[in-house]
Amino acid sequence: MVEQLPKPTSTAVPDARPPSDRAWRRRLSQRTLWAYLFVSPAIIALLLFAIGPFLFTLWVSVHRWNLIEPVFQTPFVGLENYRYLMTRDEIFRRALRNTFVFAICGVGVNTVLGLMGAMLLNTRLRARIFWRTLFFLPIVTAPLALGMMWAILLNKHYGLVNTLLEFLSLPRQPFLSSPDQALACIIGIAVYQYVGYYIIIYLAGLQGIPQEYYDAAAVDGASRWQSFSHITLPLLRPVLLFIVVTNTIGALQVFDIVFAATTGLAGETSGGGPAGSTMVVVLHTYNTAFKFFRMGRGTAMGLVLFVIIFFITLVQLRLLQERT
Amino acid sequence: MYKRQQSAADIAGSTLKYLILILAGAWMLLPFFWMFSASLMTSKEVAHLPPPLLPAQPQWHNYVDVTQVVPLGRAYVNSLLVTSLTVVGILFTSSLCGFAFAKYEFPGRDVLFLLILASMMIPFFVTLIPVFYIVKQLGWLNKLAGLILPSAVSAYGIFLMRQFMVDIPDELLDAARIDGAGEFRIYWQIIIPLSGPALATLGSFNFIGSWNAFLWPLLVIQSRELYTVPLALNSLRTYGMESQFHNLQMAGTAVSVIPALLMFVALQRYFVRGIALTGLKG
Repeated sequence: MVEQLPKPTSTAVPDARPPSDRAWRRRLSQRTLWAYLFVSPAIIALLLFAIGPFLFTLWVSVHRWNLIEPVFQTPFVGLENYRYLMTRDEIFRRALRNTFVFAICGVGVNTVLGLMGAMLLNTRLRARIFWRTLFFLPIVTAPLALGMMWAILLNKHYGLVNTLLEFLSLPRQPFLSSPDQALACIIGIAVYQYVGYYIIIYLAGLQGIPQEYYDAAAVDGASRWQSFSHITLPLLRPVLLFIVVTNTIGALQVFDIVFAATTGLAGETSGGGPAGSTMVVVLHTYNTAFKFFRMGRGTAMGLVLFVIIFFITLVQLRLLQERT
Repeated sequence: MYKRQQSAADIAGSTLKYLILILAGAWMLLPFFWMFSASLMTSKEVAHLPPPLLPAQPQWHNYVDVTQVVPLGRAYVNSLLVTSLTVVGILFTSSLCGFAFAKYEFPGRDVLFLLILASMMIPFFVTLIPVFYIVKQLGWLNKLAGLILPSAVSAYGIFLMRQFMVDIPDELLDAARIDGAGEFRIYWQIIIPLSGPALATLGSFNFIGSWNAFLWPLLVIQSRELYTVPLALNSLRTYGMESQFHNLQMAGTAVSVIPALLMFVALQRYFVRGIALTGLKG
């Protein structure tokens, strides 16, 4: 890259003390060299571990490859991998559906709960930091660890949650052992884990709304509900959009929680159980690629999810540019 | 706040507020409470139906026993090594690259910056298989380098650092140049000390992300002596699914969450700002 540098142009930062033309040019080109040196570690790493692999992914997804045979001698299969996913891989379609249900429900519930939590924490409170920290604890804890804790708490025999239900004279529930309830449990664990994120972002948004607006509304006799629906909600709109977009992207990639809560149980080696009711795309990709060595199908799955995420990310980048 | 007479409705509202907070707070603490409580129980107690809330006699030796089942101490050292080197790597590459984008004009700058924005749009799992292959070809499989090096760069980090450094006045750099400072020295002695808050934000974030990382280490590491803490935890999880092992599992879990919690308490302000700024997850 460095040797074929074009001559530095006069758009460079003006020096505080303009030296003679020749020295000026030499110093500028030196500075340009430094700039290339500064960006090169990051750029090389990104090319090697992000951009390059992405192009590689596109290539692998139209080939049949098992990771062991030489990669450039593998047969080209066109869109066969994609067709297989769409027409014959029922687990994939199940996983795609579960992933969407997970993302929509998890993000939906937390968008509401998070706003309630943030508004509560934004009022006059005793020991506000203490309460805040409580909600933030799960977001710094490994999803794997939380998945393990909740898998025990939600156990149908000895789980504490069932003990609690019994105490309240409610019927015991099978939770993670039931195909009808397992996905809801996974969503519940994710809601528990991530509600703190939503609260943090909402709090930042709420603190940006000037108190005068509320004071003026109160003088005009607005009720609490009116000042919420006419001041808070409209002014939080960008924050709300940001929260929904970024968390949907994250939720579509869920893996750790499902892995921790569903693999290793009796007869469940590939996870996503019971009966595939909690299978999600990344877990299915992991199984397809690293258990059955179907790299083509694995990458194709990832790319299908990527296309979905891509459109969501476009919105996110625009939001990010507005915010920073 | 405008002044109002404290009415009965206000008192009721405030009581309700604290009631909600206490209930929600109890729910947030429940798994942590159970984790610590179960980690101190005997095998008999955790397997009892229904399980007791607290151990009759705290079994502190569980924390020693768990290290007999999985190499937790070794995993701790590995995790600290991987996490700290990853964070240092990210801070270094991001700040250096962000500095160049913020303060230098060079041919191809806009194209390269676009490249960085583009790689921000690539979720990690999409490139999982190719990166695994590349790491394998580089001979980093089942080595800690395979965990550190691919993670030691962050497109978000570069973006964040650039946004922060753009606001550092050019006059500072020019003054240093007049005093004869080289470009790297400007970076190291002027830019880095001024970027403390941005570095703390990026660092605390990636510390927690790296400490908790699971899927990538699961693929790269096979040897037990190279396990990171989440891998040790996972092997503890699959070691025994039956309830009599839950005390040891929870002891392992308790030990594993401590560094991230400590980091969070120490750098809460920066961590919170990082989330508010980018919506990134740890």
